[in-house]
Amino acid sequence: MFIRPPSRQPKQTWLWLAPYAAIGIFALAMLILTGLLQWREQDTALSALEGDMHWAERTIEARLHAHQDFLTELGREQEFRQLTYESFQVRASRYVRDNPEISAIIWVSTDGKVEWVAPNESTAAFVGEQLAGIRLSALQEALRARRELFSPDYAGADQRRANDLILPVQQGSADLGAFIAMQSLEGLLRVTLPTSFTSRYSLSVVDADNREVFSNSSVRPTDRRISGAISLDLPSNQLGLNIVAYRGGGAWLPFVPAALIVFLTLIATATLFQLRRHAGRRAETEEQLRAAYAFRQAMSQSLVTGLRAIDLDGRITFVNAAFCRMTGFEEAELVGIAPPYPYWPPEEFDQLQRNIDQALGGQAPPGGFEMRIMRKNGERFDVRLYFSPLIDAAGQQIGWIASMNDITEPKRARVELERAHERFVTVIDGLDTAVHVADARSGEILFANRAFQHIFGFDTVGRDSALVTAACRPAPEALALDPSDIDPATLPVEIFDGELQHALSGHWYHLHERAIRWVDGRTVRVQLAADITDRKHIDEVNLQQQKRLEQTSRLITMGEMASSLAHELNQPLSAIANYCAGCVKRMQAGNYKLEDLLSAMQKASDQAERAGKIIRRMRDMVKKSDPNRQPIALAELLDEARAFADIEAQRTSTQIVVDLPGNLPKIVVDRIMIEQVLLNLIKNGIEAMHDTPVERRRLSINARQIDARLLQVEVADNGHGLAEEDVEKIFAPFFTTKQEGMGIGLAICRSIIEFHQGHLWVEARREGGTVFRFTVPIEESDDE
Amino acid sequence: MSEQQQAIHVVDDDEAMRDSMTWLLEGEGYTVACYDSAASFLAARNDRMRGCIVLDVRMPEMSGLELHEKLEALGSQLPIIFVTGHGDVPMAVSALQRGACDFIEKPFNNEDLLSRIKRALELENQLAARYQLNSAITRRLEQLTQREREVMQLVVAGKLNKQIADELDISMKTVEAHRARVMDKMGVRTLAELVKAAMTVN
Repeated sequence: MFIRPPSRQPKQTWLWLAPYAAIGIFALAMLILTGLLQWREQDTALSALEGDMHWAERTIEARLHAHQDFLTELGREQEFRQLTYESFQVRASRYVRDNPEISAIIWVSTDGKVEWVAPNESTAAFVGEQLAGIRLSALQEALRARRELFSPDYAGADQRRANDLILPVQQGSADLGAFIAMQSLEGLLRVTLPTSFTSRYSLSVVDADNREVFSNSSVRPTDRRISGAISLDLPSNQLGLNIVAYRGGGAWLPFVPAALIVFLTLIATATLFQLRRHAGRRAETEEQLRAAYAFRQAMSQSLVTGLRAIDLDGRITFVNAAFCRMTGFEEAELVGIAPPYPYWPPEEFDQLQRNIDQALGGQAPPGGFEMRIMRKNGERFDVRLYFSPLIDAAGQQIGWIASMNDITEPKRARVELERAHERFVTVIDGLDTAVHVADARSGEILFANRAFQHIFGFDTVGRDSALVTAACRPAPEALALDPSDIDPATLPVEIFDGELQHALSGHWYHLHERAIRWVDGRTVRVQLAADITDRKHIDEVNLQQQKRLEQTSRLITMGEMASSLAHELNQPLSAIANYCAGCVKRMQAGNYKLEDLLSAMQKASDQAERAGKIIRRMRDMVKKSDPNRQPIALAELLDEARAFADIEAQRTSTQIVVDLPGNLPKIVVDRIMIEQVLLNLIKNGIEAMHDTPVERRRLSINARQIDARLLQVEVADNGHGLAEEDVEKIFAPFFTTKQEGMGIGLAICRSIIEFHQGHLWVEARREGGTVFRFTVPIEESDDE
Repeated sequence: MSEQQQAIHVVDDDEAMRDSMTWLLEGEGYTVACYDSAASFLAARNDRMRGCIVLDVRMPEMSGLELHEKLEALGSQLPIIFVTGHGDVPMAVSALQRGACDFIEKPFNNEDLLSRIKRALELENQLAARYQLNSAITRRLEQLTQREREVMQLVVAGKLNKQIADELDISMKTVEAHRARVMDKMGVRTLAELVKAAMTVN
C-alpha cells in the first residue's frame, strides 16, 4: 500500500532525439530509393517512347509518301493527257476508299477552281468550288515551286482539322493544275497508328508555332517528362507530332510510395511527439508525486501524533516515527502484527480488544478512544486514539488509520486544572467572607461565592449588583473613586474599606472593595464582605470584661498567691509542730536535757520566723493595691517570684535556670505586678512541661537590654509548645489550654505589661517549647 | 536471723522538717535515720534494713512515688508512710492502691503520725518474722533428699503409709524410715506441725 516512490532518473534529452533522427533517415532513404526507382522506370518509358515515336514517324511518313506517290502517278498521266475523268474517278475513288484519312481527291485549275472531285458522293468538295485563303495560297505556292507540298491545316467541312496534299501538274513550263488530296489529320493518325499505340500515348499534332492543331485525346497527360516531339519530314510541311505517354495506372501512381513514406513518417513523428509529451507529463506527475510523497513522509515522520494504519483484519501495515517513539517499539516489531499488539498492557486486554473490535466494525466513536497502553519498558501512559477509514486510489477501503495522541500530560494537566479549580471553588466557597465580582460599569454580577449567595440570594449571578446588595452598600460618596470611571492603567485600585451594617439583617460587615482587571480584560469591582457581627459583639463584651478584669485581676492573683503561700506555710508550721510536740513529749516523760529543749525551741522559733516572712510577703501584696512604680533590680523580683514558684518547680522536678547579665540596669515597675507576671509565666512554663521527660524539664529565664529605654525578659520552656492558631488566642481572656486553668493569667499579664508601656508576646522555639518575651522600661541614668 | 534494730527512715528535702521530725521521733525513743533525697536513701539502703520509711512525696529530682516504685522493684518490704502537702490527694490514692502502707497530710497531728508509725513498725515486725520463718523452713526443705521430698508431699496430702509405698513402689518399712527422717530434718514432732510448715512455704 505504501510503495516507495520511483527513484529519480536523470533527464536524457539526446535519447529523445534518436528516434526523430532514425525516422528522418529512414524516410530520406525510402524517398531516395523511390526516386531512383521512379527515375529508372521513367528512363525505360522514355526509351520505349522514343522507339515508338520513331516507328510512328516512319509509319506516317510512309503513308504520306504513299499518298504522294499516288498523286504523282495521277499527275504524270494528266501531264500526258492520258488520264480521263472516268479513269480518275475510278482510281481516285478506290484510293480514297482504301485510305479513309483522305476525304477526297480533287483536281483544281491553276486559279484554284475545283474541276474534278473523286469520289462523286464526297461532300468535302464540290465541282466549281473556288479554293480560298490559305488553301489557295498553298496551291499557288506549290504551282510556283513546281513540287508537291502540304498546305497549312484548316478547318475542314465537318470542322475537323485537315490539310491538303497539293501536287502541281505542269506540262513543260505550263501549269495545268494540281491534284489535291484532302486529308483529315485525325484520320491520318487513326489509320496509320494502331490503337495499341494511341492507347499508350497521347498524340497531338502541332503547327510550326508549336500550337496544338489536333490531339487524339481530350485528356491532358500529366507527365510531360515522358514525351517526345518529331517533325514530319514532308515538303513545306511545318507540322510536328508531340507524343506524351499515358502513365500506366494513373499519373499519381509513382507518388504513392513517397506519399505513403511521408505520411508514415509524419504519423511516426506525431506519435513520437505525443509519446514524448505523455512521458513528459508522466515525469512531471511522477515528480509531483514524489514531492507529495516526500512531503507526506516528512509530515508523518515529523508529527508528534502517532500514526498507525491497520488493514481490515487489524494487522498493522504502517506506523510512523512518533508512534514508535511513543510506544518504544521499532517499526519492524510492529508492522505485520495482528491484535493483541505488544503495547497492550495485560490488565487492559479486554478493554482494548473491545475497542479494536468496535473500530474494525466501523463503530469507533468520533471523539476517539481514551485508553492506557504500555511502552516497551512497561511504563503505562494514556492516549487518545482516533480512527478513520483508509481508502486506496480506487476508492476501496483497505483498512483503518488511527492517530494516537499522548494525553498523559494533557490529562494530568486537565486533572490538575480541575483540581486547582475545585480547590479554588472549595476555598472560595468555604470562606465565611462573602465574595462577589461585578462589572464596574453595568453592575452585572459575574461571580459570587456561597457565602455571598447565603446573604444575598442564590440567583444573584447575572443580576445588577446595585440592586442585589442595596441593603448593604457603601454610599457612592463614601467610595474612594467613581467605579464607573476608572483608568484601566491604574488597576488594581482600592475603592472602599470600611464597616457597614446590613439594613435588613442588622449584621455588621467589613466591606473591602477593589477594582481589578477581570479575566476578560474589563474592569470589575471585587467586594469582600466579612461578617463581623460576632466580633463587634465580642469587642463590646470584651471592653466591659476588660474593665471588670482589671478590677478583679488583682484580687484573683492575690487569691492564687495566698493559695501558694498557704502551701508553703505548711513546711515551717509542720516543723514547728514537730519541735513542740517533741518538747512536750520529753517534758511529759521527764526525760530531757535543758539545752536540747532550748535548741528545739530555738529552731521552732526560726521556723515561725520563716512563716512570718511568708505572711509578710502576702501582706505586702495586699497592702500595695495601687501601682507603685519604682526602680528595682530584676534579680530581686525574680528571687521573690521564684520563692513562690519553687514549690511548683520542686513538685514537678523542674529545673529553673536564671541567667542574668551582671550589669543590668534597674527597671521602673510596680514590683508586685511584674512579680505576678514573672510568677505567671514561670508557672505556665512549668505546666507546659508536664509531659516532658523529667531530665528535660528545664525553664530558663534570661534578660538583656535591647535599647536605651527597654529591657527584654525571656522565659523559655521545653514544653509541648503552642499550636499555631493558639499563639494569639492565648492572650484572650478565658482562653486556656489547661484543664483547671481559668484563662485569666496571660490576659492580665499582657495588660500589666502594656500598662508599663511594654509588650508581651510569645514565640515557638525551634527546638520545641515556647518562649514568652516581654519588655519593661529601665531607669534613666541620672548622669545623662 | 538478722538482728538489726527497727529504725525510722525519714526522707525529706527540707532540712527543718528532717530535724524537727528527728527531734519528735527520738523523743518517743525511736531510732531515726535522715536522708535529704531519694538518691541518698537508695545509696544507704540494704536488705537487712528494718523499720519504716517516712517519705516526703514532693522532692526535686526523684519524687517520693518514684522512690516507692524503685523500692518495690528491689523487693523491699519496708512499709512507707507518705507525707503529702495539700492537693496531693490523688497522688496519695494512687500510692495506696499500689499497696503502700499509709499516708498523712501536712500539717499533721503528732499523735496521728506516731500511731501510724507504730502500726507500720508492727506490720514490719510481722513481715520480718514471717520472712525469717519462711527462710528457716526453706533451709530445712533443702536438706531433704528427692525421695524424702516425695514421701513428704504424699504425707502432707494425707496419704497412708501403705498408699505411699504402693505409689512409689517401695516397701512399707522404707516409707516409715523416710517419714521419720523427714520429721527429724524438718524439726517437727507431729504430722500437724509438718503440714503447717509445708503450707507456710507453699
